[in-house]
Formats: sequence, C-alpha cells, structure tokens
Amino acid sequence: MLSNFSLEDAEAEALGQDLSQIIEYISQLDELDTEGIEPTYQVFEMENVWRDDEIKAQEADREALLALAPEAEDNQIKVPKVL
Amino acid sequence: MKDYEITIGIECHVQLATKTKLFSEVDNDAREKEPNSCVSPVDYALPGMLPRLNKEAVRMAVIAGHALNAKINLLSRFDRKHYYYPDLPKGYQISQLYQPIIGAGYVALPDGTKVRIEHAHMEEDAGKLSHFAGYSLVDLNRAGTPLIEIVSEPDIHSAAHARDYCKELWRIMTYAGVCFGDLYNGNMRFDVNISLAKPGEPLGTRAEIKNLNSFRSVERAVEYEYKRQSKLLDKGEKVVQETRGWSDDTGETTSQRSKEEAQDYRYMPEPDIPPIHLTEEFVEEMKVEMPKLPEDYREQFKGQIADDTLEILLDYQPLVEKLGETKDVKRVSNWFASVLLAEEKSAEYLNDLPSAKQLNDLAEMTEKAELSSTGAKEVFLKFFDPQMKNRDAREIAKELNVLQENDTGALEAIVDQVLNDPACAQAIADYKAGSEKVLGFLVGQVMKASKGKANPAAVQPILKEKLK
Amino acid sequence: MQIASKEVSATSLVKAALEKAKRCENYNIFISLNEEAALKKAQEIDEKIKKGENPGKLAGVPYALKDNFLSKDGNTTAASKILEPLKSPITATSVKKLEDEGAIMIGRVNMDAFAHGSSTENSYFGPTKNSKDEARVAGGSSGGSAVAVALDIVEFATGTDTGGSIRQPASFNGVYGFKPTYGAISRYGVVAMASSTDCVGFFAKSAEDIDLLMSIAAGQDPYDLTTLPNYYETSEVKDVKKVGIIKDFDVKGEIKEALEKEVEDLKAKGIEIVELEMPTLKYALAVYYIVVPAEISSNLSRYDGIRYGYRNKDAKSLDEVYGKSRSDGFMPENKRRIMIGNFVLSSGFYDAYYLKAQKARTLIIKEYEKAFSKCDFILSPVTPNPAFKLGEKTSDPVSMYLEDVMSVPINLAGLPSLAFPVSETKDGLSLGLQLIGPRRSDKSLLDFAERRLK
Repeated sequence: MLSNFSLEDAEAEALGQDLSQIIEYISQLDELDTEGIEPTYQVFEMENVWRDDEIKAQEADREALLALAPEAEDNQIKVPKVL
Repeated sequence: MKDYEITIGIECHVQLATKTKLFSEVDNDAREKEPNSCVSPVDYALPGMLPRLNKEAVRMAVIAGHALNAKINLLSRFDRKHYYYPDLPKGYQISQLYQPIIGAGYVALPDGTKVRIEHAHMEEDAGKLSHFAGYSLVDLNRAGTPLIEIVSEPDIHSAAHARDYCKELWRIMTYAGVCFGDLYNGNMRFDVNISLAKPGEPLGTRAEIKNLNSFRSVERAVEYEYKRQSKLLDKGEKVVQETRGWSDDTGETTSQRSKEEAQDYRYMPEPDIPPIHLTEEFVEEMKVEMPKLPEDYREQFKGQIADDTLEILLDYQPLVEKLGETKDVKRVSNWFASVLLAEEKSAEYLNDLPSAKQLNDLAEMTEKAELSSTGAKEVFLKFFDPQMKNRDAREIAKELNVLQENDTGALEAIVDQVLNDPACAQAIADYKAGSEKVLGFLVGQVMKASKGKANPAAVQPILKEKLK
Repeated sequence: MQIASKEVSATSLVKAALEKAKRCENYNIFISLNEEAALKKAQEIDEKIKKGENPGKLAGVPYALKDNFLSKDGNTTAASKILEPLKSPITATSVKKLEDEGAIMIGRVNMDAFAHGSSTENSYFGPTKNSKDEARVAGGSSGGSAVAVALDIVEFATGTDTGGSIRQPASFNGVYGFKPTYGAISRYGVVAMASSTDCVGFFAKSAEDIDLLMSIAAGQDPYDLTTLPNYYETSEVKDVKKVGIIKDFDVKGEIKEALEKEVEDLKAKGIEIVELEMPTLKYALAVYYIVVPAEISSNLSRYDGIRYGYRNKDAKSLDEVYGKSRSDGFMPENKRRIMIGNFVLSSGFYDAYYLKAQKARTLIIKEYEKAFSKCDFILSPVTPNPAFKLGEKTSDPVSMYLEDVMSVPINLAGLPSLAFPVSETKDGLSLGLQLIGPRRSDKSLLDFAERRLK
C-alpha cells in the first residue's frame, strides 16, 4: 500500500522473504549506543541557501512538459477518474 | 441537546503573496491563467529536479509569525510528507513537521478572547483536479505555491467563535501583507476539528472537516457537526474519527476517510534543502517593518468609533489605514461605513481612496457647518468620481453648490427678504401671537430663498432676533 | 587524454570511439548510442579548430554518460522500464559544463536500474560484463561507465556514487574512479537515488584526467542548493605525511596482499603509516541500508505513470495506474529498497530505525574526524573481494549488500574518495584500493594519487 505496487503473490512472497532478512541485518544497529547523540540528516555544512523572488523563464515550457505525459487533454494531464 | 460542550481546533492554510513559487521561479499568481502555464520542471517533478527555496517566502513566514504573536524558531528545516495523489507531482509534499519556523503564539479576537496557536509551518500547495465523466484532469499551476499552515489549540467553543477566529486570521494575514486574502480563489482554506463532550468529561472523538473556504461555511459546518455528533451521542453511538467533506449546497458534511484508512505520511527530513538559520537581528527587523494589525487599530480608535462600526471597517484594511491618517475619525468612519460601503462599486473604490487632505478638509467644513450632512455626503461621493476625484473638497462643494451660507450679513439680507414677502405675513402674525411652530416654516422659506445654502442652525437665531 | 587538434580531428576521435563501442557489444555496455549528434558536434569542434577558435579544454574528447543523467541528447532510462525512455527537455548542469568544454557524449551506458545495486545485474537491459572476465560482473551501479573506460572505448565516463557505485566498478575493472566531496558537483538533472549521499563523479585512466574533469564540473549551482561554493580550484594542495589504515576491516587474500604492498611502497616513499581504530564503521552498512532506502522510497515516489514515463495500458482506475505501472516499471531491487524505505519511515518504526541510523551516522562522521586528526588520508580496500561471478549473488540481497561494507561509510560522511588500480589477481582480475580524504580535500587527494601512488 505504502509502496504502491500491485504485486503477484509469488513476487510478494519473495520480496517479503528478502525484506525480513534485510530487516534482520539492519536491526544489528540496536547494539550501538546512540544515547544523547544528535542525528545527521545532511552532510552539508551550509545554511540559508535560497534565491530571490523573481520570475525567470524556465528551461522547459508547458508544451515540452506535457509532451511527456502518457495522456493529456486541454493542456492538462489526463488520469482515470479520481474518486 | 445543550448537554454537550463543543471543542474546536482549526488548521488554516494561507497562500503567501510572493511573486514566485516556493521552490521555482515561475509566477505564483495563476488566477485567470491557462492551465499548466505556471509550471516549471521542478513543479512537474521531472527526475533530477531539486527545490530552489524562495527567500521572500521565508521572510513572509517570519512576518506572519510576528502577526500571530508567535515565537520565531531561529533554526527550522523542511520535511517530506508522502502520499500518492495526481495533484502531488513528487509523491511528497515539502512541509515542516519536526522543526517548523513558527512556534507558539495567539490570536486576539474582537470579543476579547484569545485563541492560542500551537505552531505554524511552511509548506507547498498541491495542484488542482477537475473531474469529468470517466476521467480527471490535472492542472499544476497551484502546485508549489508557498503556504503557511497555522495550527490552533482547541480553544474554540462555538460556531460563531470559529467563524470569528477564521475571519480574524484572514484580517491579520491580509493586514500583515503576506496573503492576498482572496477566499474565492482559495487563498485561505480551513480544516476544522470538532469534538463534543459532556461538561467535565474528557474530549470526545473528533471529526475533521476539510477544505472550507469561507467564514460562513466554517460556521455552518460546525453547526451541522454539532447536531450530527450530538444525535449520535444521544443514541449512545460513537463518533468515528474521520475526515469529512462539507457541501455548501446540501449544508451537510459527509465521510471521506476514516482513521483506519488514515495515511501514514512517512515524514522524512528533506535532504535537498539546507536548514534555515535566522539571526535575532533579522527577526527583530521584520517586527519593526510590521504593518499595523486589526488589534493595533482597535487600540488606536478605542472610544472614538463605535465598536460595531469599527468591526465593519476592519474588514477593509485600506479604510482603517486611511482612517488612521485622518483627523476627524468619527465623521470619516461614518462616511466609510454608511456611505462608501453602501455603494455598489465600493470594492473598486477601496483601491483608490481620497487623500487624507481631502477627507480632513471635508470633515472640517462639515464641522464648521459650511456643509450640511447631506452636502458632505454628496461631496464625499464625488471623491470617487473619475472626473472630480482629485479635486479639493471645497472646490467640489462649490461646483455642487452645496456650501451653506453662514455669513450673518448675507443671511440677514435673505431673512429680511423673506420677512418682507407678503406670503409670509400670516406666519409672522401667528408667531407673534405665540405660535412657535411656524418658525420652522419660516426657516424653510429662508432655506428656499437661499437655494439650500443657508445653514438652518444659523438662520434660526437671526429670525428670532428680527421677530422680537 | 587525447584532445582534438589540427593533427587529430574530433571527428576521427568520435568515429574511433563509436566503432569500438560497436565492436564491444558483447559486454552490453551501452543502452543507447548518440552517433548522429556526436558526429555533428565533432564536426562543429573541427570547424572551431580550423578557424582558430577555442574549442574547449575537452575538445572532441569522447565520453560515456551514465544513463541516469538527463540531457537533451538522447533519452534517459536510468536502466529501468519506468522512464520509458524519457526525452528530457533539460540537461544536467554537470553535462552542460562538460559539453561547454567540447566533450562529446558518444552514448549512454548501462547501470543498475536507478543505481540500486553493486553489479549492474539489476538493469532492465541486462547485465554489463566485466572487462577482464566476461563471466563476472562489471560491478555497479556504474558498471557500463567503468567497462567503457577500461576497454578504452572512451577517455572518461560520468558516474554517480551513493554507496560505492563509482569506486567499486572502477576497482573491478582496473580504472580510476573518483567520488568527490558531497556537494562538489551539481546533482541537478541527475536521477536522484539518495539525496543526502548521491555524488556525481568520474571514471578515467589517471588521477590527472580526473583533476581536469573536476576543475570543469565542480562548483556551486543555483539549481542545487546542496552544492558547495567553488573550492576545488582554489584549495591548497597539502604536503601529505601520514596515511592511515583501518584495523577494524577484515581484509583477506589477494586484497590483503595488495594493501600490504601499497603500504610498503608508501613507507618507502617516506610516508608514515598510522593504524586507526574505527569500531563504529562496522555499523555503517546497517546505517546505509536504512538511510538510503528511506530516501530512495521518497525519491522514487514521483514515478507514478502520471506525468511521464511508463503507464500500464490496462490500468483502468487511478490505483491501477499507480500499482501496475510501478510494479511493471521497477526492478525487484528497486522494489526491495522502496519497501525497506517505507518500513523504516513508517510510524512506529521511524525512531527505532531511521532516527537511530541518523544518530549512528553522526558517530561515524565523528570517527572519521578523529581519524583525520591523526593522518592526512586513509588507505582502504574498496571491496572485500574482487569481481564476483554473474548471478552469484542475485538471489541473496544481503550478501550483495555486504560487498559495499568498505565503500558506504565514506558516503555517509560525505567524504571524497579515489579508487585506483593497483594490481591483478592471479586469475587476471583487477584489484583496486581507495584513498579517502577529509571533506574538500579533493584536489590534494588527486594530486597525491598522481604524484605518489604511481
């Protein structure tokens, strides 16, 4: 559900098995004492990297982007009805 | 039915009025624009695209935080919130869960109560879907518009209170200049959490009504939920924790998603955007630059303008701002409230108000009785006439011929003229015989003779004197 | 490297490269060739040379592009089905910089789909074979890039390294592979795998060539907020006195011999060898297989069959568009990693796995900081073993992951590392080692490799 795959039973079972092995492996981290340690989400020492609020022409326009869509109509992306 | 107390918490999405989107340099104002015409490869979520943070959005968030009397968190970060929906191109929304930019604050309402703000965070808006028979179409113009989401504490306890809170938030955000406040176009949207409980008992299960876009629908949805939930509880049934949608047409809420189906958003710190680390100086600077808020105007006009008049005017920031520049706020506020706002084109007029000098002159002339209140209103309306709007109050009054005659010499001449008129002989005789009420008739005759320019208040003593 | 000139035309260089690429078809290196555009560009460069204009520092140099870079030239697949190849309207910053200096992309090379893998066996287009032994893996994920350089088809190739994807195939094929400091080269226009560890880097035949490529490709990019301000060219080359070796790794067999020989060589050149205790590194693989799948599951959410790429033709409902397109479009290893990522991020497991791993990451970074207070660079194997046989590990994902144990800690800390060839096994397989430096020491690292390791 979270991954959004529709898997055949056999594939789901095989993946499930792999997954349990992998989870077992990564669970060894339990041994490591991380009490009082701050997490590192980015190995990048900079802060406040931002840009000015100015409109700029983009490298690809609407036509170039919508040309990539499997289905489009009226300059919009077409999808099966969203319930 | 009155056995239950209602507890309400509100999450409000505010679209920030930046020129460009939160993470790309395309036009943020997609009103009247063709679908997908304001979309960059970043908004379209092509592979390999990375967010490019708009500094102005951060600045506006800080201003919004000040407007909410909130603590600004000097260090904040973005996080990814994951779910699949065709209007969410990346499959996640860039938001702030763990370290939002705005901390605890409060909103003071006109009735003197306060609603506490739990926190507020920055995030990007999603695109828009339109539905047709068998398919839907995706327009990404709105995808990536900067938002702040303001999360209140459950401090609200009635439908009217909920409406007032939303309205006050709308005023605050538009006054602060961070939002255009166009509710029709979704500039502000409200998610309302409602739960019922008997007094003294713990809070009941809540239902969340999503995506309300007017104060009236907030009020009606809360009223409806009160009835729905209290009926359930009366019957001994349970309220289901769920998301519900509101229909303005049916006036009802309907179930959309229950907690069992609730999404696991798998929040994750956003690795593509370095942290925001503001300085105390920057945060303080924003405070200094802060425009006046409704609460400031309430303080400023306290005792000078009736509360209900002021609350009407507070819906129109340009009016109170202008009012603040004028000397005679009592008169000017009345013209605004009862003349200007009664006009069909008042919305247009708000963008082009008369100058403070025009209004001050007009107020002064009225004060000195050079104009009748009717004459003043006529002049006031001409301030909005494209032909006359830039002219002085006195000039317009002259042109309209509504200046009142206060000059005693001139008035005496007119009074004499009236008293010598044979048509008035009977009235004069009656007055002298003790009939006070014919005085009104005589004043009227003077007014007529002066073509309406005589000030009745000045005419009366002259008449009395001459008739002695 | 051979640059086009009045004597050697760009056209002849490109033609030779294309011909060789075709002769090496049995290795399954290229996903697509860029023949027409490459020849046209070669002509343009030859024109410039004829007119005496500056044709650029890489004039006419043929190169191979890993197929996870977007470029207006050709279609991008990331070796997956789900991009159905993407005709990109934009070009990656790094590609633009190379092409502005006259480099000519002759084709897009194979990889593990979305760079998930260590063998290039997870490609929708089949595995690439090792340049020394066709029964063995090329390594991965940048297998095609390594083999294209090893077989002398091109002068250099681009790669991406999230956990060893440049260094491991480089060392499996006897070429130089460089993973720069995190943030050195823009990631804009590169199909993302794990944003906090992804690095663009290069394969070439010498450290000197890589230095030239770095001087061109590195630098701050407003389109990637995690790029470092320009430091590469201006950084000082340090006088290297001490090199550390890690005691905690279990190094065996011919790799051990190669390492010991290199240590002796360094000592002979007057370098002091420092033994380092780095006990936390053994947890790096577990940290990596939590943090990286989490970011993968997030970054791969956009491949949904809606706006571009593959959409299952039979999908009737929206859920089917998502489910069927993603199931068909991703390789099993993609699915494994997406599922692990969703697991470690799901409510209830976030703290125990994801948060815990990010804390452990801090400890790993600190351990490197401590190590670099004792030495200038660290010398280490890239992998525990030389290239393994095709199919040997495909049914056992954990054993495949264990091949990354010596390369992933470097990515978690964002450090630069150069894999360089040292010798061959008695069976003729390539053996390589890596030299790791502190953040932003890229230029010194390449300089040291060029001057001292030869």
